[in-house]
Amino acid sequence: MAAAASFFSQSVGTIHVCGCANSSGFCFGKSSSRSISNGFPIHVRLLGKRICSSSHCKLHVVRESNSCALMMDRVSSSSDSSIDNNGKRSIESALILIRHGESLWNEKNLFTGCVDVPLTKKGIEEALQAGIRISNIPIDVVYTSTLIRAQMTAMLAMTQHRHKKVPIITHNENEQANLWNQIYSKETKKQSIPVTPAWQLNERMYGELQGLNKQETAERYGKELVHGWRRSYDIPPPNGESLEMCSKRAVAYFREHIEPQLQSGKHVMVAAHGNSLRSIIMYLDKLTSQEVINLELSTGIPLLYIYKEGRFMKRGSPVGPTEAGVFAYTETLALYRQELDEMSQRTS
Amino acid sequence: MSAQVFHQAMGTLQSNRLLNNSGTHHELGNIRVQLIPKCFKLNIELSRNRNFRFGKKNFGIIQATASQTSVIESASSPSNHDTSDSKKKSNEAALILVRHGESLWNEKNLFTGCVDVPLTKKGVEEAIEAGKRISNIPVDMIYTSALIRAQMTAMLAMTQHRRRKVPIIMHNESEQARTWSQIFSEDTMKQSIPVVTAWQLNERMYGELQGLNKQETADRYGKEQVHVWRRSYDIPPPNGESLEMCAQRAVAYFKDQIEPQLQSGKNVMIAAHGNSLRSIIMYLDKLTSQEVISLELSTGIPMLYIFKEGKFIRRGSPAGPAEAGVYAYTRRLAQYRQKLDEMLH
Repeated sequence: MAAAASFFSQSVGTIHVCGCANSSGFCFGKSSSRSISNGFPIHVRLLGKRICSSSHCKLHVVRESNSCALMMDRVSSSSDSSIDNNGKRSIESALILIRHGESLWNEKNLFTGCVDVPLTKKGIEEALQAGIRISNIPIDVVYTSTLIRAQMTAMLAMTQHRHKKVPIITHNENEQANLWNQIYSKETKKQSIPVTPAWQLNERMYGELQGLNKQETAERYGKELVHGWRRSYDIPPPNGESLEMCSKRAVAYFREHIEPQLQSGKHVMVAAHGNSLRSIIMYLDKLTSQEVINLELSTGIPLLYIYKEGRFMKRGSPVGPTEAGVFAYTETLALYRQELDEMSQRTS
Repeated sequence: MSAQVFHQAMGTLQSNRLLNNSGTHHELGNIRVQLIPKCFKLNIELSRNRNFRFGKKNFGIIQATASQTSVIESASSPSNHDTSDSKKKSNEAALILVRHGESLWNEKNLFTGCVDVPLTKKGVEEAIEAGKRISNIPVDMIYTSALIRAQMTAMLAMTQHRRRKVPIIMHNESEQARTWSQIFSEDTMKQSIPVVTAWQLNERMYGELQGLNKQETADRYGKEQVHVWRRSYDIPPPNGESLEMCAQRAVAYFKDQIEPQLQSGKNVMIAAHGNSLRSIIMYLDKLTSQEVISLELSTGIPMLYIFKEGKFIRRGSPAGPAEAGVYAYTRRLAQYRQKLDEMLH
């Protein structure tokens, strides 16, 4: 679906999507896409349909005609796994980053690092809210850390998704685990979203500060030293990781495992932690170490990037909890959402 | 695994700095430490211990000498580090069994087995409700399966617990995982509840039926065959486990790892699955294979057993969702609840 969708969004001449408010708070930006220079005529199947569920929304489709007709596949039917019709791979895929919400040690103001502490009630709520925000954005694969607070965040968020696919954690820690989690129905597999836990996405390991509170830590090590660990880029706490070390393994994992998914058109969600996500954002946004130190990621507010032609475009900035995240839909995403609307209308 | 060795060692030798985080849970069920028959000194350098690391600090050197001395846990205050003598030896521990609630494949009526499918919104709610039911029952250790639906059930339930201790999942899949999850504060440790994940508590592995729905399965294999797999004790689906096989590994794990905890007075919660829990109940209640086949466990309704002097006394029956679970508090549990009330006021 993803590849067809993205090709569609590139090649559909000019589509103007007008501003449209909807219930989840997303705004459509007005966007236009360039037509392909060699001018294919495009038969847009959507013409016959009601384009937008909201009566405020108008969708203008401009048809370009030329010699050959090109049929575009319907976007985002869940069983559509083919590449686009003429073999072109112009890919646009969504990347969602979610930082987990409040954990039990956040609440107690303890340094957590890689200690596997679960979410509070508030953290659970944040995850559900985050899920509502992304409920219309396509997701094909999920990556999490090996820590329960990130995994729960992903699972709770996905309970809100409208596509009704089932996230399934893949196990291959040993042969038995691998064998025991096999699925024997093709149809079921198609309705599944693989979830891959990876320690490389874990929170920065905080060494001997793990479990200490700020007071204890200042007493034990002195205030300046602690400040150095918390705010520097490359100074690790005793037996811990610096932000630089965390970045290294997180970004390496991202480039090796996640980026290829995006390149092949898969839509990806990453549910992880403050430092592992900052590290990835440092890579996506090409930040300096000074800039990344000052970067604060809100919890529970998903960040959206569009991956296109090897580049990452930020579509929602790291914002504080009081500010609504602005996710400017691309055509791909708008059409996907429309499909979801139609799907739920049919079933209701 | 050294984690198990540690647990076993702790069965005979309690350090209240570690697994037994604070005395509060044991104010009424004091731990009786069994004396090791030989006379030797046990020097426990917990800094080297794999599961519960204290970093460089050296905690709890406990020496057990010949017959006369018995080291008993102090019951009351969380800050009491020293082992003290002479408390009552009532060896009573609570065992809570929680079956996870609705999963996404339950909703779709697919055979799940060991496929790692998460909870639905309803399953999340059920877990929280279960948590409310057990919010006054002491919990010192938690065991779950390796599957997220059971782990989430445990974590969600514990958000409701009034004692406000922090469940922490133990990691020992690799040396790095162990090292990276170390905790370096004694106080923090004491406020923690270790959570052990174990594949032996997983749902019965359903082999080639995993992912199929009932229609597909009946089509593929025939109705009677499917009925046999689902309802028999010892006939496994293709490449899957029979209930008997599931029971074998689940009960072995229970006897090996969990029962010693109860014996040492730890209050334990197990969050797992229909078949692994039935297996354990078969052992606790001494059921026959016929009886266990007919046993249905409600989801989200925790079951309480009291472990006392080697026996398991059931205090809450498997009840349907419309029936309130009956938890007849023992005096000890009633007093624990009272302490919680006092603590929180």
